[in-house]
Formats: sequence, structure tokens, C-alpha cells
Amino acid sequence: MTGFARRIRRRPPKYSAAKLAWKGFRGQSWPRVWREVDLKRSYDAVVIGGGVHGLATAYYLARNHGIKNVAVLDKAYLGSGGSGRNTAIIRSNYLTPAGVKFYDRSVQLYSTLAVDLNINVMFSQRGHLTLAHSDSSLRTMHWRAEVNKLQGVNSSVIGPDEVKSEAPSLDTSDHPRYPILGALYHPPGGVVRHDAVVWGYARAADHMGVEMHQKTEVTDIICTGGEGPDGKGAGGRVTGVRTNRGDISTPVVVNCTAGWASLISSMAGVRLPITTHPLQAAVTEPVKMFLPTVVVSGSLHVYVSQTDRGELVFGAAVDPVANYSVRGSLEFTEGLAGHVLELMPGISRMRLLRQWSGLCDMTPDYSPVMGFTPVDGFLVDVGWGTYGFKAAPVSGEQMAEAVVTGRTPKLIEAFALSRFDNGELVGEKGAAAVGH
Amino acid sequence: MLLVPCPNCGPRNSADLRYGGESHARPDPATASPSEWRSYLYLRDNPAGWLRETWYCASGCRRWFALERNTATNEFRGPPLPGDKRGGAA
Amino acid sequence: MTMSRLGIQSTEVIDRATKLRFKWNGKRFSGFEGDTIASALAASGEHIFSRSMKYHRPRGILTADYWDPNLLVQVGDDPNVRAGHRLLESSMDVRSQNAWPSLHRDLKAANSLLGRFLTAGFYYKTFMRPQWLWPTYERVLATFAPGGKIDIDTPHRYHDKRYSHPDVVVAGAGPAGIEAALAASATGAQVLLVEHQHAVGGHLRFSSGDADQAALTQLQATLAASDVEVLTDSTVTGRYEDNWLGIVQRNHPIAVERLIKARAKVLVVAPGLIERPYVFEGNDRPGVITSGAARRLINLWGVKPGERAVVFSANADGDAAAADLDRAGVEIAEIVDARERRRISSTTGSSRAVDAVVVDAGLASNQRIDADLLVVAAGWTAPTSLLNMAGDRPVYDATAARFFPSDPPANVLATGGIVGDGSLDQLRSHGAATGRLAAARAAAVRHRLQAHTARALAVDGTEPAWAPDERSPLGRDAHPELYRSDTHGMVDYSEDVSSKDLVAASKEGYDSVELAKRFTTATMGPSQGKLETVNTVAAIAEARGETIAEVGTTVWRPPYAPLTLGALAGRVFEPVRVSSIHPWHEAKGVTTIQAGQWIRPDHYGDPAAEVRNVRENVGLIDVTPLGKLDLRGPDVSKLLNLLYVNKWSKLAVGKVRYGMMCAEDGVVLDDGVTGRLGEDHYMMSTTSSGAGGVWEWVENWLQTERPDWRVHVTPVTTAYASINIAGPKSRELVSRVTSGVDLDPDAFRYMEVRGATVAGVSGCFMWRIGFTGELSFELHVPAGHGLAVWEALMDAGSDLGVGPFGLEGQRIMRLEKGHFIVGQDTDGLTLAPSTGMGGLIKLDKDDFAGKPELVWAADRRLPQIVAIQPDNPNIVPDEACQIVRGDSNEILGRITSARFSPTLGRSICLGQVEPELATGGTKLTVLLTSGERISATVIDHHAHFDPAGERLRG
Repeated sequence: MTGFARRIRRRPPKYSAAKLAWKGFRGQSWPRVWREVDLKRSYDAVVIGGGVHGLATAYYLARNHGIKNVAVLDKAYLGSGGSGRNTAIIRSNYLTPAGVKFYDRSVQLYSTLAVDLNINVMFSQRGHLTLAHSDSSLRTMHWRAEVNKLQGVNSSVIGPDEVKSEAPSLDTSDHPRYPILGALYHPPGGVVRHDAVVWGYARAADHMGVEMHQKTEVTDIICTGGEGPDGKGAGGRVTGVRTNRGDISTPVVVNCTAGWASLISSMAGVRLPITTHPLQAAVTEPVKMFLPTVVVSGSLHVYVSQTDRGELVFGAAVDPVANYSVRGSLEFTEGLAGHVLELMPGISRMRLLRQWSGLCDMTPDYSPVMGFTPVDGFLVDVGWGTYGFKAAPVSGEQMAEAVVTGRTPKLIEAFALSRFDNGELVGEKGAAAVGH
Repeated sequence: MLLVPCPNCGPRNSADLRYGGESHARPDPATASPSEWRSYLYLRDNPAGWLRETWYCASGCRRWFALERNTATNEFRGPPLPGDKRGGAA
Repeated sequence: MTMSRLGIQSTEVIDRATKLRFKWNGKRFSGFEGDTIASALAASGEHIFSRSMKYHRPRGILTADYWDPNLLVQVGDDPNVRAGHRLLESSMDVRSQNAWPSLHRDLKAANSLLGRFLTAGFYYKTFMRPQWLWPTYERVLATFAPGGKIDIDTPHRYHDKRYSHPDVVVAGAGPAGIEAALAASATGAQVLLVEHQHAVGGHLRFSSGDADQAALTQLQATLAASDVEVLTDSTVTGRYEDNWLGIVQRNHPIAVERLIKARAKVLVVAPGLIERPYVFEGNDRPGVITSGAARRLINLWGVKPGERAVVFSANADGDAAAADLDRAGVEIAEIVDARERRRISSTTGSSRAVDAVVVDAGLASNQRIDADLLVVAAGWTAPTSLLNMAGDRPVYDATAARFFPSDPPANVLATGGIVGDGSLDQLRSHGAATGRLAAARAAAVRHRLQAHTARALAVDGTEPAWAPDERSPLGRDAHPELYRSDTHGMVDYSEDVSSKDLVAASKEGYDSVELAKRFTTATMGPSQGKLETVNTVAAIAEARGETIAEVGTTVWRPPYAPLTLGALAGRVFEPVRVSSIHPWHEAKGVTTIQAGQWIRPDHYGDPAAEVRNVRENVGLIDVTPLGKLDLRGPDVSKLLNLLYVNKWSKLAVGKVRYGMMCAEDGVVLDDGVTGRLGEDHYMMSTTSSGAGGVWEWVENWLQTERPDWRVHVTPVTTAYASINIAGPKSRELVSRVTSGVDLDPDAFRYMEVRGATVAGVSGCFMWRIGFTGELSFELHVPAGHGLAVWEALMDAGSDLGVGPFGLEGQRIMRLEKGHFIVGQDTDGLTLAPSTGMGGLIKLDKDDFAGKPELVWAADRRLPQIVAIQPDNPNIVPDEACQIVRGDSNEILGRITSARFSPTLGRSICLGQVEPELATGGTKLTVLLTSGERISATVIDHHAHFDPAGERLRG
């Protein structure tokens, strides 16, 4: 595949404190963060989904492989799906060696992302506590810690006293119904500013010639030679996509959607091991900083961190009922508050300001589906459940490599769609809990 | 809180029921190929629209039943049939 | 600007006879009963209440109600209290927030000077390098976090919840809402009327007109005499699926707050309108207030808002405010009438107060008017939140200069100012018509719900016949479109976002409402867009050269008003399960362990001694949580054949068999023994944690795959107390208390079951099995007699050395015997052949759950569960230690269970290993948590102790 930006662009101004001061002093405005351009009739690759996975894929296609004639299509605005709705927790303390290696690469990429993308993504490695309230979850924490250590990932099991010193607002006494018995402590874990990552990838990709098209909805994927109707399905290949703004021809389509992964894939005749469930989140009014780390409790189905603005951001487990509606529920906030006050009884006077939800594509083994499909030229980077944001940089990097080389990179071999046909599921299923 | 129309108990809060997921037929275990069996285990249509799905009235009549729900709007349409094909494989 | 208390106003809500003393930033103040915190402070001459988030600018009263973004204060341990709403109480300790070091001398106000550099989103563009400094920057930025302080020792005080099933809920008790509630109630409907403010009446409360006051009095009286349930200081916070409503009641007499969960058949939305600020230079200077603020201050609390005012009026409310000001003795310097195309351009003055207002800059009427007060009536925001949550998307009407609901679902109706304008009579009659329609529709919903409750009546899925909407619609008055003047000013007061920021964001490409909102954080603060949304949309529309209708509005998300975590949580109801024998354990000073909802004995002081006692004498363990399903009917053996991997057809009456259960993917789901008690009567036992899931699993297969089979399933887990009596002297002990069973080893053999009378309790059954590897009897006693039987066994066995043992002792003994535990030694991917019990799997059966995967598993390399002994008998690896290849980091397996065996005097383990390591004698390397690598050996059998099983057959 070849292709370069069709026109030379003037280098846009870099972000820096000096430039900020200069522009502020001169009262100058900043140029558009990404261009608005017309949709072309043909691209070397089309990425469906203008979230952080799609944008990262496009960025690494351009940066690592020089493939710049790429369009990223989003039916709404960039970052309007899961990328803008998640709680942006970053960690790599997974259970399986494959998972740990993969997410650890992501943490590495995140740690230099601000400089790479020239935007402050506010990656705050403030430490991550996964609380254990039972014998069996403590055992799973030990398991994760041991696997993590073998992969060089900083992770250890700590007792209630150490938990208290990391997060003094937690009730580590034996008063709660399910007392805190210990925690998996992961110092490199933390949070990132999700919008900045989205905009940073979009801006950097735009600088290299990638086109971002918002309000551009894919209505069909055009295939030929497949065993299904209209040439779709196994054995076929992709020739283009149909959108609400016209048809585009392209040999490569990468499905980077969340919430719509099954629907987009079915346009190419590919069935996925996915059910879509809403994941709800909520934020409180701001208060002065008191919670220095990210706190997760799998058994109480809650995770919480405090933003630099002082708000507490909460999430929980996905809703039990499959759904494409993102309206949210009262029972979510009731359960959340109940569990949070079990952990931190002192914050009962904090007020819930806003609740929202996003769509999560859940797979049977709590692991993504990445790489090639039975349709030539149709790749997927889907099934990200509740843990997609933390994997965005590495996913983009690996998907770009797959597109260019035509081979599945080693780091994502375990996540191939074919594993479901072989019955070789990923071991994260071994200890499924709230996966944040 | 969704109201789920149980055929025995009438409309009930969804928290009173267990969601069984997409309704699908179990292949004949004697003849199913690995591919057929695993698509029964793992692959789902997952439509954004009308979905035939199963519920278990866990706090009421304790019957499994199936009905159609629109996954985009949460409307139900019936009639629910007790003893429809099973939902979640595990 | 100087505010002060006026003489008595006829409309006032304060009780001047009751003086309340309180503290404000440590100083003593006083107010009256009925004052809000803000009105009391204002009456005392305070005019700075907070500092803005970014620039720390002094902020005064803006709207003087719940939505006022400038009136967030700390009250005791309660942060972010709305001082414009919270009623004053005696001895309140009120403090300002977001000021450092003090409200009046705030050093961070220096940020104001940097304003042009601290544009929206500035932080995205800096602090990238050097990367190692970012954590330091972050700590500094975090000190700018706005809001109050929480005290982590604040107790979770008493909160309450209530369920309600009203026919009609009316959100908003203004004149239209009250009429709706009354009209619905008059038809016999059960009605709940919810008002956010402290009293009903809406805008009539702060209207000084005689007609309005007469109407208010009449409405209050009619309401009081009606059957309508009225909640004040309460808010409908959200509308969820099928009209499930959250209502928070803040003035409950006992609970701090109460959350009411109402399944309304019809919801009537009648919140009125929220007055919108106007954007111009200096619009956030203390002394600029809305017309509503002026009227509330004067008419409700008798507070004079200033000395000399400019009134900017675009509507009748502005005119009414001017009249109120005049009556209150405020000098009206000028009425700037927006309907005559006049404009406010800016205010001047210090950062702390207005000294003049510039009007009509650039026009002939251009002038600078000295004033300490600017009252603004620029138009309205329709709080369409609840309608949004019901799926409605509001539509902008340029003539009326506000958004209107478009097409809410049939069970959600709207009335009052949110749907149109009109005289008080018109609003009231629209409200009444809405109430009648709501009642009629509620009746249709009620009918449908009742019809569906009848057994065997199919749900046809059709909508009920909705009463048609024949209300005559309210009109819409023309109103000037006033969003931004010819200067830039504050759009979001709580986030310090100006119209300039929004224009810059739009130019930078963040030009849809959602992107601009995210980039600038406009509308993201504590008032959640109630005041800011429309001005935000207008600024973006202006920057893009589009209309407000084209740009559209954002989606309002729940809750309508913030509510406390305490209210949402209510009381903590976490079930606790204990066996009927538990009081005995507690009396013995047991150490317990949580096992799901169960609290179980872990040990009674010395688990090793408990083990030795079982191995030498006899011990009792309370195993009540063990799952038990009573299965009856002619097809039970078929069911067992279908659910377990092994065969059941030949199980004779009186016999017990172990079974392993797999899911359809071949993964081990559960295990346990099942006994045949009679020809068509079986008792299935499951793991304790699997009890609920297996029951559902059984029902699922019976109801969906094999509905023709005749099996009746009854869960009896808690109907029986279960006691395992284990040890060489167990038969002797059991024989002393049991009648009706021949306990002779040849008459009641290993893996058999018998009904029995124990300690005089009939209806017991016992089976000869056990996890410990000793001769043992597992006794199941009708639960109410559990404690008595346990005590009888203890008494009867005192000379035999009987003693209790707990879960820990049992775990040691089961590990000595090499029995695996589902979920500990297996995981979510462990297929049945990995357990070392592959011999159980009978692939010649026609069908059973998971069979195809187990057929194919024969060709797969699966990890194996094996028994492992560290070569150093004194080292007990932590469970979850990894088994690695030599000195490398390659993982070959893990230790799943490990204990020190008091019986063998050495450490013993179970683990999962790669298949090539599963043969006895294989040397393994175990990586301890300390980092040390030790050697260990796989042993031939799972059982570390008594592999032949001679003891349990004794």
C-alpha cells in the first residue's frame, strides 16, 4: 500500500508555555485543531470510529508506516462514544502474561504521549488500589501480583494498614459488612485526561495528512467474493464503504467502534462474540483533594478517583441487561452510593452532579477481539468491554502494524477472532471481576 | 428501572428477574461441528432493535421465559413464551 | 452596593420574631426564621459570598435561589451547600469556599491578571516538558480545585427510602402544577405534587401584585383541602425507564434526606422557567443580579438589594422588578428597555462592586449611569431536563427566544411556563386540563397493569388507548433574543468560562456544542447548565455564523438537581446469613470468615489442633451453607445424567455418588454428591457458593431444553442445618444419638444415605461421605433443630474427645486428601479433564452439558491439577505463587492451594501445571512471593495422605 498526503501543509504551531504566552500577549487565536475537508472518493485505508482507538490507529499508520491517505469516519463527533464517557483509568496489572505485556506497552506509550503528541494528556500516575474483601479475591490479587512481577510490572499485595496510608478516607476497620482485607497496589496505575488523548491523536494525525470526518455515518461495507449475500462474509474482500456522504473505495477497513462493533461487522458479514451493555458512570460536585489514588473494589462493583478539578468520578460494573440505550438508571446511582459509602463513609454529604453511560462491547473472556477476520481487508479492533481506553495507544500501534504487514503482530496474537472458533479463550476469564 | 412483563406475575421491576440474554437454539451435540458449537457458545447477533431474549423470574414465579425487546428503546412486545430456548450458555 | 433589611413586606416569608444566630467565616451574624443563608447575610450587608474557580474573582448574589452559582458555601461538614436555598438554622457554622487565604483577601486573585494566558483549555497546551515536572504542576493545579472540604470522619447519618406507586406525579408546584395536581386528584387519581422550593406557589410567591397574592392564597387553601400529597423542598431528580422516578425529600422530619422511588403512571412536568443571565463585560461583578433575584430578595425576605439601580428589562418580570425596587426605596436610575432595542454594554467599578452601567455603547442613547445595582431581565431557560430524560429533544423557537419541548412520550405531559406563555388564568386552566388528561391516561396505564397481573393473560404489546390530547395550547409571547451584548462577558460563572473562551474554542475547531463544552468545561459545574446552557449554545452559534436552532442544545443528564450520596445510599442493607448453630460458635469465641453472604466458623483458636482431633478422635463442623436441592419425580436420573459428566442411571436407593458439573463450554461449574433417598426422590448437594447458580441452572435445563421431563426442584439449603461428624470415633458418637438406622459398617457403607432420627429429631438424613478423608457422617437436620442436635452431639461425645472444627481445619484436611475446590483450584477456563478426574467423564452418554467440548478436549494439551510437595517441608508457598521454568520468567503453572499439614508435618500443595509436568516425580521450580525460587516435586496421587482411602471406609 502506498500513499502520501496530497498536499504539503504549513507546519501548525506547537503547543508550549512560551507560545501560549506569546499568543495570549498578542491576542492571537490558535488554528483549528484538525481540518474540516471534503470527503474524497478513495483512501488507502478507512478507519470506522473516531474514538481513541480509531484515531490512534490512523496516527500510527501515518507516523510509523507513512500511510497517510487515511480517513477516520465518525457518525457523531470525535470522542463522542466510549472515549469521552469512560473514567480514563490506566493500568497494566492484568492476570495473564499476554494481557500484562500488552497493557504494559500501553502504559509505556502513555507515559511519553504528552511529548509525542505535543499536548498535555495529564497522565497522572498516582497509584491504583484494587481492594480485596474476601479470601478468594485476595488470592486473585496475589495471582495478579505474581504474574505482574514476572513481567516486570510494579504490583504487589498490601495489607489494610498500608491501604489506609495510601488512601486515608477508606474505612479499613472491620465495621463494614465486607471489610477491606488487603489490596493489589499498582503504583504506575493512574488516570489520564481522556479528551486530551482523543484531541491529541486527532491533531497529530491531522498534521500528517490523515483526514477526520465527523457526522459521517457508515451505512454499509462493500465486499466482493464472499460466501454470503452481496459478496460479504468469509472468503470475500472489502472494496469500499458506503456513508451518508457518499461511497468511498478502499482496500482496507478497520472497525474501531465500541457499542456498534456487531452492527458494523455485520455489514461485512462477520459475526462477533459480543453483546453490548451500557456502563454507567457518575461524577460528584468538586471538593478539595482528599483521595490521592485510584480505588477499585471488584466485589463492591465500584471504582473511584478524584479529578484535578476536585470531582469524584465513579464507575461500576456494566448493566446486566444488553442494551443500546444510554439513558442511565436510578438503581445504578443507588447501588454506587451504597457501595462507595461502605468504602468511605465520610463522604455521605458529597452530591452526585451528573450520571451518564456509554456502550461496552462485552466478550466471553473479558478480552478484546483484534486483527484479521474471514473477510480480506476487514480488520477489527473491538470487544473492548470496560477497559478500552487504557489500551488505545498500543492497540493503534499494533493494528497499524497488522494493516501494513498483513500479519498479526505477536503482541495481539492472543486476541484474534479465531480463538473463539478454536475454543482457546484468553485467561482473563479466569478471574473476571470489575475490570478497571 | 425497566418493567418486565412476566407471563405469570405481570409487570415486575427488572431487578426482580435474572437476565438470560439472547435466545438461541442449542445445536444437536451429537452432530454439531466445533464451529457450530462454538458459535452457539460465543457468537451473538446483538442487534440494535428487536431481540428475542430470555428472563428468569427469580424473585417471583421462578419461570424462565422469552420475549422480544427493542434494545434501542426498551419496549417489549409479546407474547412471552415460557420455556423458550435457553439463553446464556453458561 | 449595600444590601440591608427593609421594613415588613406583606409577602415576606421570614418570622421577624424568631432571630437565629449563626457564624459566617468565624464571625457572628444573625437572621430570621425563614431566611436563607444568603438572604440573612445579604440583610446583614454582606455582598461577597465566594470566589470564582479560575480567576478567584469576588462573586455576589446572582439569582438568590437554588441555582445561584455564586452562593455555594460550606456548612459544618456539609460542602457545596446552596446558600440561596438552604434555610438558616440556629448556630450554623457557615464558611466561604474557594478562597485563599480568605474571602476578602484572596491571593489567587492574581490569576485575573493572567486571564489572557489562562484561556479555556490552556492546560492542554503546556506543562508537557519536562515530563518529570508534571506531577508537581499537577499538585499545584489541584489546589485550584473548587468546592468545599469533606471531613472523612463525617458519619453516614440516618437516611431513608420509600417506594410509591402514584397515578400522577406533578414535578413543580407553581400555579399550573398545582392546578394539574388538583384536577387529577378530583377525578380520584392518587397524586404526588413535588416542589423544589420550600413552599408551593412558584413565581406567585415573590409577586407583590394583589391578584397574584389572592390567587396564591386560594391555591394553597384548595390544595390543603385536597387529597393531593404535597412534598416541598423536594426534587424529582430523574425520570428513568417506564416512568420510574427518583424524588429526593430534603425536609423529612426524621431522616436527613429521603429518596422516594415512584413508579408514576403519568408524570406531569411543570418546573416553570429559569431566568437566564445576560452576557456583557462585567456581568459577573457583584451588584449585577437577575430580576428574579431582586424580587425574591425584596418580597420574600425583605432585603433591599441596593441603593441606585439600572433595570434592564425585556419582559414583564423585569418591569415588575422595577416596580418592586421602587417600592422598596431603591432609586431607579434608568430602565433600559430591551424591547426598544436598547442594550447593556458593560459595568464598571472595582472587582468587588458595580459603580456604573454603560448602556447602548455606540448608539445615540449611549450613556454611563452611576449605579450600585444592575437588575437584568433578559429571558428564560426552559428546564427541560425531565423531558429530555424521557427521550424528548427540545426545539428552539427564535420568536419566543427559548427552547420548547417537542414530542414527549404519552405518559409524560408538560404544563406551565415550560410549554408557553399566557395570563395566570390561562396557565391555570392549561394546568387543570393537563391534570385531567394525566388522570385519564393514568387510568389506562392502571388498567393495563392490572390486566397483565392476571395469570395466563398474554401481554399483547399494544399501547393502551391513550386519552387524546385535546388541551388548547398555551400561546408563545414574542421575546427579544438576548444572549450576548456587544461586549464579551461571563457565560459560565461556576467554571469561569467567558463568551470569548467559547468563540476561541470554536475557532480552534471545538465547534459543536459537545466539543466546546468538553474543551471549555462550560455547563459542567455545579449548576449543570441550568443558567449557562443557552448562552453557551448562543456563543457557539454566533462564532459559527449559525442559528441557535442549527447548533441545537446539549442533552441534560440526570439528576435534575444534585443529590447527596447519603440519600442515594439510604441505609445499608447487606444481608447476613448464619446457620442456626451460629450462637454456639460465637459462645465459643469462634474466628469467622466471610463466604459470600455467609459468615462461617473459620477456627476456634488452633486449626492444627482441630485437625489432629479429627484425625485422632472426632470433630464436628457446621456445613449448613452447603447447597441442597430436593429433586423429586420419575425423570430425576435423566436430569442428573444431563447435568453431570458421569452416569446416574444405576444409582440404587440408599446410595450416594459424587458428580462433576460442566458448563456448555466444558468448564467445571460445580461439584457435589447426590443421594437417592427413595424411588423418585433424590437430594443433590452443591458447593456453598454455587447453591444459587446451580438451582437456576437446573431450572433452566428443565424449563427450556427438557420441559417434558417430570422433575420437581425445591431448594432446601437453609431448610436443613448440616453437620459433618468426622473422625475415627464418629460412628461411636453418631450411634449414641441416632435411632432408626443400622450403623453397622456393612449395613451403612461408605457413599450411602439413610433417613434417621437424631437426638430425638425426626426427618433427618445422613450420608457417609466427607471431605476430610476420615470416617464421617454428614447429618442434615431440619434447620430449627440444628443447634439442639449440635449440642446433643457435643454432650454425647465429651468422653470421646469431640470438638468443633472450622473451615480452616477442613481446608487443611481436604488438601491432605487432595480434593480440589471449584473456583480455587479450578478457574474460569479449567475444563473437566484438567481436574485429574477425567475418568468420571462418560462420553458414551448421548448428551450432557458441555459434552462436545469434552470430546474435543481429548486432543488438547490442557493444564493439569496435581499435588505438589516443596522439597523443603517447612516452606509453605503463598497460594498463587507461580511455577516457572528454572531461572527464567516463563510461567508453567501456579500453586492453587497450600497449607502446612499437621498430620504429615510438612507443607503440601495443589497446583495447576502444564501437562508435561503432571507426572509424579517431576521437579518443579516455585517462585515464592519473596522472589526466592524453591524446588518442589509432583507426587503420584492427589492425596498427600491415605491415598488408598482406607480411613474413610472404616
